[in-house]
This record gives sequence, structure tokens and C-alpha cells, in this order.
Amino acid sequence: MHWINWAIVAVYLVVVVFDGLRRTRGTTNIEGYFLANRSLPWWAVGLSVMATQLSAVTLIGTTGQGATDGLRFVQFYFGLPIAMVILGVTIVPFLHGAKVYTAYEFLEKRFDAKTRSLTSFLFLLSRGMSCGTIIAAPSVVLSAIFGWDITWCVALIGIPTVVYTVLGGVQAVTWADVKQMVVIVGALLAIVVVLIMRMPVPLDNALEIAGATGRLRVFDFSFNLSETYTFWSGILGGTFLMLSYFGTDQSQVQRYLAAKSVGEARSSLLMSAYWKIPLQALILLIGVLVFLFYTFTPAPMLFNPQHSAQVQQKEPATFAALEARYSTAITQRTAAAREASADIDNGTKAATTSALLAFRSADSSVNVVRKDALAAAGRVTGEASRDVNYIIPRFVLDHLPLGFAGVFLAAVLAAAMSSIAAELNSLSTATVVDFYQRWFKREGTDAHFLFVSKASTAVWGVFACVVAVYAANLGSLIEVVNRFGSFFYGSILGVFILAMIPRTRAFGAFVGLLSGMAAVAAVSFGVPSVSFLWHNVIGAVVVVVVGTLLSVGGDRKLPTA
Amino acid sequence: MSTPFRTTLWRVLLIQAVTLALLWLLQSRYTLLPL
Repeated sequence: MHWINWAIVAVYLVVVVFDGLRRTRGTTNIEGYFLANRSLPWWAVGLSVMATQLSAVTLIGTTGQGATDGLRFVQFYFGLPIAMVILGVTIVPFLHGAKVYTAYEFLEKRFDAKTRSLTSFLFLLSRGMSCGTIIAAPSVVLSAIFGWDITWCVALIGIPTVVYTVLGGVQAVTWADVKQMVVIVGALLAIVVVLIMRMPVPLDNALEIAGATGRLRVFDFSFNLSETYTFWSGILGGTFLMLSYFGTDQSQVQRYLAAKSVGEARSSLLMSAYWKIPLQALILLIGVLVFLFYTFTPAPMLFNPQHSAQVQQKEPATFAALEARYSTAITQRTAAAREASADIDNGTKAATTSALLAFRSADSSVNVVRKDALAAAGRVTGEASRDVNYIIPRFVLDHLPLGFAGVFLAAVLAAAMSSIAAELNSLSTATVVDFYQRWFKREGTDAHFLFVSKASTAVWGVFACVVAVYAANLGSLIEVVNRFGSFFYGSILGVFILAMIPRTRAFGAFVGLLSGMAAVAAVSFGVPSVSFLWHNVIGAVVVVVVGTLLSVGGDRKLPTA
Repeated sequence: MSTPFRTTLWRVLLIQAVTLALLWLLQSRYTLLPL
């Protein structure tokens, strides 16, 4: 990569870390360190909420998914605006009004200490591991693209993040998130402009060609429990997942607990409700435009350069045969695309339909060869194929004008760092507030707790980096992060719903939580064909039903906010 | 930003409706062939 691109990345890293160091001033207690003394404006918190959710996985994996699978993944987010509106009138006023540091602290006020400790422990368990995955995901890609050792890639992402998160606390995290969202959205828009300018046929024709392969199909109204992304799984399963994530996951709850007021906290969540689906659609559309770009420009058979090199080295005859088939297939696909575009402009409707069908067939032939190449790569390397995650990085490095690759790499780092920083900050909060302060040392000076909080953030940072180095070979980037959370998410949401139902009791909540997790585990292992998006619905419903039944005739302890 | 919640709710619903309508238009305009 050109030195100007590296200079852009270096400037980005220096600005983020320097700003974090600047924000260490004036923080004297843990309310300042973890919650910025509840003083942040709604728009900064809103951008922070969005930046936290938008990880490097989204930037690399989802754009790649757009290139291979089209726009239908956007259905996954259909429940998000609904969830945000529900949270705005339910959990947000309760949590903000209760003046808690963690969402789980509220559960002790409402139920008992063991329910709080168990939910907080589950959060530490799932988020502690997923934080490592969030660092590992972009590290693996950078490692393969630049040929660096994975440890150096983890260090490049992990060390600056740990430094500014440890020193600056939530102030540094939030204001870095604001800058990072600007970098990310700026990079995405720049890529869209370049892609449209470089399209060799009119955009309208290009989209019709992409549409012939089904990539512009957004809505799937079939009610199929084993199909992951449908309209119904997005609306129902997605709503429950987003309710759990934004309502009960400390990494998100802590963002809006730092807002000035309940109104500002609510407004910050609604910012995501406004912009998440359009932003996600834009990210997927970039993938579709990259597919079109590679329809008219020769694309690599395997986008992961290391896999390609290994197949070529270990099975040269297989590689040569695949390359020959691939070369023929993409030449035919390009010719079919040009013919389809010409027919869209000048041909009859019948000729256009025929040309689009020919293009679809040519695209299928390319996919068959790529499938064989991916199988060969899997056989030779012993790794599951994750080629989809290399499509956008390869496109950016090989085809974008000077400087754009630097901006994109800075955006990937920004997306990773914003998610990791929020995770570390919230992991430390739960550790200190829900365990250290609750069970070991109730009284202490502000200076003591501030030191413990910074030390805890640093320990979690080191832990996440170590996990990242070893977890680099975990499965599909997107699904791993989502699947891991879905084991607990729905059940924890169920406990919070119970907390808002009058007359429910601590015993019911605790047993309900265990029952919900058992039910999700049973479905996950017993009926693996049920999509993971439904796990959240199952977990939440079982907890609410069991918890309510076990609370019949109990005391009347009411919500405190 | 102290907009009454009901107004905000209508705004959210309106933006989502417009977004979904645009996605629907994109799909129906360009997915001409049966899949």
C-alpha cells in the first residue's frame, strides 16, 4: 500500500489516541469514568450507539455479503426501529430514573442479588469472549491481505483502543465514536461515488443486470423457521434481538445511561431507529455495486490471497485447471452483461429478457467454478472458507484511487475500535460495580475505585487481545458474534420484562432465567434447523411465562423508577 | 430535543415506511425475471 495511505491511517490513530489522553483530565470518580457524570448530549450518545453496533464485521463481512447474496440481509434490521420505540417508553425511563451504573444493578433493586449477579456474569462471559472475536475478525483479514502475523494485526487494533479506553473512560469512548462514525460514513459514501463513476454501463442498466441474479431482492415473505433472513424473522426475531441488545446489554445500555436526561437517552436511541436501516441498505448496496464492478473487470478467483497462493503451491494442477475454467466463465459473464446492457438500451423486451437470462446463467457458471475453488482452498488450508470477507478489502486496495485505501483502512479500524472500546468500558463497569463493589469492597475512596476501574479495563483489554490471537480461526465472522449472544440474550430480556410486570418475584425471575436458557439450549441443540433469530423469542417467552407462574400469590414489590 | 414522544414515533414510522417503500421500488423495478 502507498505511503500516503499509511499516513492517513497513522493520522487517524494519533488523533483518536491523543483525544483519549486529553479526556483523562477532570475525571475523579467512577461516575465520571463510567458515565461521564451523566452529562453527554443525545447526538453524541446516538452516534456512539450506532458506532458500537457497527463493527468491522459489518464493514467487511456485510459488504461482501451484499456482493454474493444481495440486499436481503437488510431484513435482519427490520425489527430495530420497533425495538427502539418500545425501549424508549419502557426500559430507558426505568434504568435512567433508577440512577444505576449497570442494567443488572436495576435487577437487584427489583428482585435480588443473585439475579443481578447471574445476569451480569452471563454478560461478562458472552461479551468477554465476543470482544476477542470483534478484534480477531478484522485482524484475520488484515493478516491475509498484508501478509502480517496475526499478533501484529491484533496489536494494531487492540493497543490504541485499550490505551484510550483505559485512560479516558466513557468520555474518550463516546467522543472517539463520534469521530469514528464520521470516518466510516465518509469512507462508505466515497466508495459509492467511485463505484458509480467507474461503472462502464449506465447505472440503471447495471442494476437491472444485478436484479437478474436476485441480488436486489429485499423482501422474503415466506414463513420459514429454518430460513435465517425473512421479513418475519426480521420483524419478530429481530425485534426481540434488538430489544435484548439495546435494552439489556451493558455495552449499549451504558451509552445512554451517560446521557443528560431520560429525554436525551430516548432521543439517542431513536437516532438509530431513523438511520440504521438506510445505513445498512447502503452497506449492502455497496456490495452489489462491487459485484457489478467485477462483472465488467476481471475478478480474482479467490479473494483471500493466502488461500489462493496455498492452493497454487500445493495443488498446482488443480489450480491451473480451475483458473482456466474460471477465466472462460468470467469472460462469458462479461460478454453476457455487455449484451444485456445493449439490449436494455436498444433491444426488444423479449431480447432483453433473453439476454438477462443468459447473464444469470453465465453468473451461475462463475459461481460453480468459485465453489469448486473454495472447496479446494478448504481442503488445502484446512480452514473454513471466509472468502466473502476479502472481497471489499481486495477491491479497495486494487482499484480505488490513491488515498481511498487509507481512508477505508482507517474506517475498518474505526469500526473495530468503536465496538471494542464500548465493550471494554462496559465489561469493566460490570466487573467493578456488580462484583468488586457489590461483593468485596463496598466502602472506599473515589481514587481507589477509579484506579480499580482503570486496572479492570486494562485487564479486559489484554484478555480480549489474547482471545483474539487464538480465536482467529473461529467460524463465519458475522454469525459467530450473533449466535454467541443469542444463547443468553432472549432470556435476559425476559427477566427485564418480568421486572416491569407488577407482583413478579425474585424466585420466579431466577428460575425463569434458568428455564429460558435451558429452553434455548434445548432448541439450539435439539432442533438446529430453527434459525438463531428465533432463539431470542423463545428465551424471552419462556422466562416471562415461568417467572409469572412462579410468582402467583407472591409479594407486591413494584418497579422502583 | 424535547419533541413529544408521539411526534417522534410518527417520524420514526414515516422514515421506516419511506425506506421500505424505496427498497420495495428498487426490488420491483430491477427484479424483472422470476427467481
